[in-house]
Amino acid sequence: MFFRMLTGALLRQRGRMAMIALTMALGASICTAMLNVMFDVGDKVNQELKSYGANLTVVPRGASFLGDLYGDAGPADESAGQDKYLAEDELPKLKTIFWAFNIVDFAPYLQTDALVKGSGNAIDAPVLGTWFDKRFDSPTGESVQTGMVRLKSWWDVDGAWAQDGGPEGEASCMVGANLASKLGVRPGDRVSVTAKGGARLVIAGVFHSGGSEDDCLFAPLWFAQEISGRQGLVSRVEVSALTTPENELARRAARDPNSLSRHEWDTWYCTAYISSIAYQIEEVISNARAKPVLQVAESEGAILQKTQLLMILLTALSLSCASLAISNLVTASVMERSAEIGLIKAVGATSFEVSALIITETMITALLGGALGYFAGLGFAQLIGHTVFGSAIEIRPLVIPLVTLLTVTVALAGSLPAIRLLLSLRPAEVLHGR
Amino acid sequence: MLVSSLVRRRSRLLAALCAIAIGGTVLLGMASISYDIPRQMGREFRSYGANMVLVASGEEALLNLADAARAAKMIPAASLVGMTPFRYEMVRVNMQGYTAVGTDFESARKTSPYWSVTGEWPSGDDEILIGSDIAEFTGLAGGSSITITGRAADGSRFSRDMTVSGVVRSGSVEDGFIVMSLAALEAMTGNSGVADMAELSIAGTEEELDAIASSIRSNVPEVSPRLVKRVTQSETAVLSKLQALVVIVSSVVLVLTMICVATTMMTVVMERRREIGLKKAIGAENRSIAGEFLGEGVLLGFLGGVLGTAFGYVFAQAVCVNVFGRGIILDWKLLPLTIVVSIAVTVCACLLPVRRAVEVEPALVLRGE
Repeated sequence: MFFRMLTGALLRQRGRMAMIALTMALGASICTAMLNVMFDVGDKVNQELKSYGANLTVVPRGASFLGDLYGDAGPADESAGQDKYLAEDELPKLKTIFWAFNIVDFAPYLQTDALVKGSGNAIDAPVLGTWFDKRFDSPTGESVQTGMVRLKSWWDVDGAWAQDGGPEGEASCMVGANLASKLGVRPGDRVSVTAKGGARLVIAGVFHSGGSEDDCLFAPLWFAQEISGRQGLVSRVEVSALTTPENELARRAARDPNSLSRHEWDTWYCTAYISSIAYQIEEVISNARAKPVLQVAESEGAILQKTQLLMILLTALSLSCASLAISNLVTASVMERSAEIGLIKAVGATSFEVSALIITETMITALLGGALGYFAGLGFAQLIGHTVFGSAIEIRPLVIPLVTLLTVTVALAGSLPAIRLLLSLRPAEVLHGR
Repeated sequence: MLVSSLVRRRSRLLAALCAIAIGGTVLLGMASISYDIPRQMGREFRSYGANMVLVASGEEALLNLADAARAAKMIPAASLVGMTPFRYEMVRVNMQGYTAVGTDFESARKTSPYWSVTGEWPSGDDEILIGSDIAEFTGLAGGSSITITGRAADGSRFSRDMTVSGVVRSGSVEDGFIVMSLAALEAMTGNSGVADMAELSIAGTEEELDAIASSIRSNVPEVSPRLVKRVTQSETAVLSKLQALVVIVSSVVLVLTMICVATTMMTVVMERRREIGLKKAIGAENRSIAGEFLGEGVLLGFLGGVLGTAFGYVFAQAVCVNVFGRGIILDWKLLPLTIVVSIAVTVCACLLPVRRAVEVEPALVLRGE
C-alpha cells in the first residue's frame, strides 16, 4: 500500500516533484562546483605563483659566502673569488628526488667576469652561462624541459630568447637593457666576449627585468664554461618548486632535521615543505647547499593560506545561503499539498504514515535532483577552471558524500517544518478549502 | 486589498521574503567581495617586498635621501607601505672583508617582511644584524661583539665596537651582509644623507605604479625610479586570476541563488490560483489582478532587498575580517543596485505565473483543476 501510494504520488505530481528536483539540482550543482574548486584552488594558485620565479637556490657548500665578499649587491657578486662549484652532470638528479614531480623548473648559472665589446668601447661586465630552454632525459627516463624561459617569466624581452645550441655554429646570448645601452647594441648585433678564452655571440634579445640582471649578459652554459675554463661546472642553480605552506613541524625541521621523532621525520620528508625539498636536493647533489629564497617562499605560503581561507569561507557561506533558500522552497511546495494530506488523514492514516510518505517522496526526488546537480556542478567546476586558470579542475571523490549529505539535510530541514504544520491541521477544515 | 492580502498570508510571505533576502545577501556580499579583492589581496602581496627602487639619475653614484623623500611625497600616503634606504660600504672585521649595509630597520621590516631574524632586531645604533652565511662562517651569534674597521669618506681610518643582536636570513644576498642602522654607518664614514638606493613597497596595480614612476621622473629629476618587474608583473598576473576566480564563482552562485528565489516566488504565487479565479469570477480585470501582484512583488522585493543589503554587508565584512584581518570598503553604488535587482527578480517571478493563471477559465481554477 505504502509503495503504491508512493509511486502514485511521485507520478501524479510530476510537475511539483520536478520543481523540487530542479531546485535540488541547482543547489547540488553549486555545492559540487564550489567544493571542487575549493579543494583545487591551492594547487592552482600555487601554479600561478610560480611566475615569481625560483624559491630555492642551490649553491656549493662553503662557497656561497666567499662569493659575496667581493663586489656590492645583486647577482654580480659571485665573481672571481669563487673556488667551489657544483657539477653540471649531477643536475638531472634533481628530477629523481622524492618530490621530483614538484620541481617545476630549474636553471644553472656559471658566472664569470669578461670584457664585452659591441660596436664601441669594451666594457667589463658579468657574463652568466645558463640553460635557456634545455631538453634532456632524466635518469628515470622522463623527458625534461627546463630553463630560464619559464623561470624568468617577468622579463620583458625585445627580440627573442636565446637558444642553448652547441659548440658548432654561432652561439646566441641575451643582454640586459642597461648593458645594451652602454654597449650601444640591439637584437641581431654581434658582441665579442673575452675572458680566459673568447668568442663572438649573436644577440638574440635584449631584456628588461628591473633588477640587477639588467647589467649582465646571459650566454649558453657551455659557452661560459669554455671562456672561463671551468668545463662541466656551475656556480649556482635556481629551482622553482611547488610547495606546501610551512607549519610548526616544517619550521622545527628547517632548524634541525635530527630533532624530529621517527614518525615526525617521515611526515616531514613526505610532505612538500620547502625545507624537505631543500633537504632532498642536498641528498642527491654532492657538496651542495639548498637555501629557500624567503622572499618567494614565505610570501607564497601567506598568499596560499589567504586564498584557501577565502575560498573556504565563500563556499561555506554560499552553501548555507543555497541550503536556506532551497529548504524554504521545499517547505513551500510540501505545504501546497494540504488538501491531499487532509484526505489521507480523513480516511484514517496515522501521523507516522503521513510523515513517512512525505519524507520518502521528498528524499527520492531530492536525491534524483542531487545526482543530476552533481554532474551539472562538475561542468560548472570545469568551466571555472578553464576560464580562470586555463586548466581542468581535479574531480575529488570526497565531494560526492559531502553533496549527498547536504542534499539529504536540506531536504529533511525543508520537509520537517511543513510536516509539523500539516499534521496540526484538521482534515475537515483543509478539505473544506481553508 | 494589497495590505490585507499581505497580512492574511503572513507565513507564506515570510518564506518568500526570506528567500529574497537571502538572494540579496548573496548578491551584495559576493559583489562587494569581488570588487574589493584586488585591494585586499594586493596588500597581502606586499609580503613579496619592494616593488619600486629609487636610484640616482645620470652619472651620480649615490642617491640623495632628501631627493628620495621628495619623490616619496608623489605617492599617496595610504598606498605607501614603506621606503627603506640602503647604503653599501666595504668594511673589515678581523682583517676579513665584508659588505656593510646601512638601512632603517623599522621600514626594512615593512618593505622586506620576509627577513627572518634569529635573536633580536637591533634597538640602538651600536647593535647590528649579521647575515646567516657570515654567522656560519665566523661562528658569531646574537650577543657577540665585533670590531668593525674601514676607511671613512675623507680617507681616515675608523674602528668601532658593535654588538650583534641577531642573525638575519633571507636566502639571498642579505645572508652575506652586515646590516646596521644608516646613522651608525654614517657616523663611521663621516658623510651623511646619501644612499645607494631606496626600496619602496607600494600597494597598487602595475598601471598605478607606472603612473607614480612617471610623476616622480618628471617632478624629481634627480632620482630615477625603477619598477621591480619580478614583483609587479607577477602580482598583476596572479591578482587578475584571483579576481577572475572570485567573479566567476560569485556569478555562478548568484545566478543559481536568483533562480531559487524565482522558483520560490513562483510557488507562492501558484498557490493563489484559486484566489485569482475567484477574483476573475466576480469581475476583476486581468490588468487589475496583474497590478496587484506587481505591487506585492515590488513591496516584497524592496523589503527583501533592504534586508539582503544589511545581511550582505555583514557577510562581506565577516569574510574580509576573517581572511584579511581588515574591514571591507563598500562600494555604495552596490546598495541601490542590490535593491533594484531584488525587486526585478521578484516582479518577474510573480508575473510569469500570474499571466498563466489569468489566462485560464475561472470556473476551471475554482473547481480545483
